[in-house]
Amino acid sequence: MGSILEVNNLRKEFKNFTLDNISFNLEPGYIMGFIGPNGAGKSTTIKLIMNLLKKNGGEIKIFGLDHIKHEKEIKDRIGFVYDENYYYEDLTIKQMKSIVSSFYSKWEDDAFNRYMNEFDLNPKSKIKTLSKGMKMKFSLAIALSHNADLIIMDEPTSGLDPVFRREILDILYNVIQDERKSIFFSTHITTDLEKIADYITFINNGEIVFSKSKDEILDTYAIVKGGTDLLDRDVRSQFIGLRETSVGFEGLTNDVNNIKKMFKEEVLIERATLEDIMVYTVRR
Amino acid sequence: MLGILKKDLNLMISDNKNRLFYLLYIPLLFLIVDSYEPKWMYLVILYTYTYLTSITSFWHDISNKTSYMINSLPISRKEIVIYRYVSTFFYFLMTIVYVGIYLWIINILGIANVDYFNLEMIKISIPIILISTSIVYPAYFRFEPRLAQIIHLFMFITFFIGVMNVGYLGKKSLVDNLKFLSNGKYILLISIFLYLLSLLLSIRIYETKDL
Repeated sequence: MGSILEVNNLRKEFKNFTLDNISFNLEPGYIMGFIGPNGAGKSTTIKLIMNLLKKNGGEIKIFGLDHIKHEKEIKDRIGFVYDENYYYEDLTIKQMKSIVSSFYSKWEDDAFNRYMNEFDLNPKSKIKTLSKGMKMKFSLAIALSHNADLIIMDEPTSGLDPVFRREILDILYNVIQDERKSIFFSTHITTDLEKIADYITFINNGEIVFSKSKDEILDTYAIVKGGTDLLDRDVRSQFIGLRETSVGFEGLTNDVNNIKKMFKEEVLIERATLEDIMVYTVRR
Repeated sequence: MLGILKKDLNLMISDNKNRLFYLLYIPLLFLIVDSYEPKWMYLVILYTYTYLTSITSFWHDISNKTSYMINSLPISRKEIVIYRYVSTFFYFLMTIVYVGIYLWIINILGIANVDYFNLEMIKISIPIILISTSIVYPAYFRFEPRLAQIIHLFMFITFFIGVMNVGYLGKKSLVDNLKFLSNGKYILLISIFLYLLSLLLSIRIYETKDL
């Protein structure tokens, strides 16, 4: 089976920011985490995928189809959850559902009602009376009730408490049990991705740093800890990012063998987290 | 497209301010304006309801930032624009029915002697509605909400000034001198042409716009 989402050399220019040469692939049956600091270009990329912004160059294919030529057909198979509530605040959940459902060819009322019960949402509640978490649950219920093959989420867990974040992750994990479906999930809360993501795409300053499997990334990168006496200009250049204190240093490397050869037993080498990789890469 | 119509009607009914407007506008107008010719009042009511109903749905999308949501659904931008232009006719028909019933009740109850159906005024209102929406719709698709609101208000006020001009000066009025009311056939053709041109322009604007 081909890629569910294919982005090639995507480019978008703004006055003060350029998203350049963005490329990555998402295969069916996997979750891809899209990480990067605030302002790196995550939401812009998602808006370009959803054709909310017009690209200046490159190609986006979803389900093997051009995302503009086959926009309606594609969006019928996409479930979306954005970082903010973009539903009408004055309407009730039931009214909003009735509007949204009429757009989808494969809407399933049973699935929606099941999620309403699971999320403890009252269909008679007005959207403006819902908390941020409840609004997110409602968005998720909509996204999961029309047999979508690709779920696109832009920072769905930001501002939510850990209990609810875990709840969302469990739901996503269940969705992905169907091997035809995929999830593209942007966040800066990297611990969420360590639990469920199969692939990680890291974007910084509008450019892709890497797009690889999570296991490959966590095997490649490492945190190195040692005394400041070990540091000189040549040594510093071996690290992607470095943090120095009065007692020692901590650095990120993607070449563990070289570091081992260089320092032998003089340093401590630990497994890097996605957060370490993001922080040290952004800071350098 | 039925989905968007459903959305607009739901929003119209759910909004308290809208409900008050639909309910109280006619009695308020009768209290404030004393027209010696009831037909002009009928024109004002037809225009106001149709025009404001058509524009209000834009306002809902702006104030709720819902364009991201609508444009993420399986509907093309072209369809969104076409719906907007087609919906004007739907709202116009809806207004004729609603206003007809409302004014008929006012007549039956003897509150005022007003026209509840006047074909001459319906014919005059069509080009006015088409011309004003031809200008305002592309403004909403193209400009920032605040600027579009200014253009909308300008258009709305222009209409009222025009009606007052005819109401006070009759045959001497600028509107009458421009033969806007008497050359009905040409005005209708011009307004339809303008409306179609405006539709094409709005499609072009919206299809290439960053949301």
